[in-house]
Amino acid sequence: MALNTKAIKRRIKSISSTKKITKAMEMISAVKMRRAVATVLSTRSYAKLAWEIVNDIAKKTHINSHPLLTHRQVKKVGMILITSNRGLAGGFTSRLMQTAQQYIKTAHIESNPGIEIILTGKHGRKSIHKLDQTVVAEFDKIDLTTRIEEVFPMTQLAIQEYTKGNYDRIVVAYTDFVSAISQVPKIKQILPLEKGLDDFLGTDDEDTVNVAEVETEEGVGQQQEDASEAGYYTFEPGARVVLDSILPRLVEMQIYQAILESDASEHSARMLTMRNASDAANDMIKELNYTFNKARQAAITQEISEIVGGAAALE
Amino acid sequence: MKFQIVTPERVVLSDEIDQITLTTEDGEITVLPRHIPLVTNLKPGELHYKKSGEDFGVAISGGFGVVKDDGSVVVLADTAEHAHEIDLVRAEEARARAAKLMSEPRKQEDVNFAALQMQLEKALIRLKVGNKYRKLK
Repeated sequence: MALNTKAIKRRIKSISSTKKITKAMEMISAVKMRRAVATVLSTRSYAKLAWEIVNDIAKKTHINSHPLLTHRQVKKVGMILITSNRGLAGGFTSRLMQTAQQYIKTAHIESNPGIEIILTGKHGRKSIHKLDQTVVAEFDKIDLTTRIEEVFPMTQLAIQEYTKGNYDRIVVAYTDFVSAISQVPKIKQILPLEKGLDDFLGTDDEDTVNVAEVETEEGVGQQQEDASEAGYYTFEPGARVVLDSILPRLVEMQIYQAILESDASEHSARMLTMRNASDAANDMIKELNYTFNKARQAAITQEISEIVGGAAALE
Repeated sequence: MKFQIVTPERVVLSDEIDQITLTTEDGEITVLPRHIPLVTNLKPGELHYKKSGEDFGVAISGGFGVVKDDGSVVVLADTAEHAHEIDLVRAEEARARAAKLMSEPRKQEDVNFAALQMQLEKALIRLKVGNKYRKLK
């Protein structure tokens, strides 16, 4: 009996130390989450407004006034996949991977474009093989991104590759931060800026009219056009100058925002997972305490009855 | 007309106003109600707007200005500060610091120099806007 209580005690001890760790991790994640959420919420209105304006400009401007506005037939898609640096965040990475996989599947059925992945986050490296796609670039991820300069290398690459024509569409796979308990993995198209495209979930329907139109106009996009030809909006000092500075900036902003959303989601997911782990540890400790007390009581009762039995035998 | 100034950090202003003057690359433009849709680059400088006869100044360090087809004006600025928010002492300190760093012998790359120039410019604008509207009161 004595051996049994010892084993239970050891188990309780080991669970308590695990609980200590998960509790500490929960607290760290809570702090990080608070900071990430503060950043994501403060930039949200800017990013939303920027996206609205970009879409508005794309809708009301001549399609060829800027390379970032021109549509090409989609032969190759670049996917920016934003994962986390560490695991232990529940299904954070796996859910994102699932969504990405879904997108790749539907994209293949649609028009059979090749997909290449631009990856950020160490943890994504482990499960990237599931997607079975080429990874062309990998960027280090900062645990808490707070400045847009920190994501410049990635945004520059995406825009450059698109302008060069290596990719005909660029999407971002990220996790949208809805609230501390709910995060939704999403795929968002960043480039080209589509006419009448608002925020959307999953894959979009390829507009056949657009494709036909683009094919005939391909390559004309490099032409210099002045404000009068650019359509609805007036540009000061000139369409090309303004679009050149405004479009990349606002596209960068979208990628930056996606990273911020992912940051906030990651830390909230981890906090929740760690809280669940701590709760589970608590339950287990409680259960084991009962068993321990029972075993101890049983041992005592047995000893007493042995003593009483022994004393009775002497009389 | 509706007017919004938004920076990546916060919404600086969202209000109904009568007119607004922006510093673009080609010079100042004033936007009155029912302006045609316009997209423009903003230079670091002063932005001022009128609301029920009163003048307000905002120091801006670059960005974009958009007049939408519904007549509302949106300024997406890198940073923006109201004149009354500007701490003149701190702005002066920032200017002096930037100027000192710039006058130091060059051991640095051009990137640093450009960044410093930006800082100096920003500090100067803040000082200018801050001083101007302080005097008005």
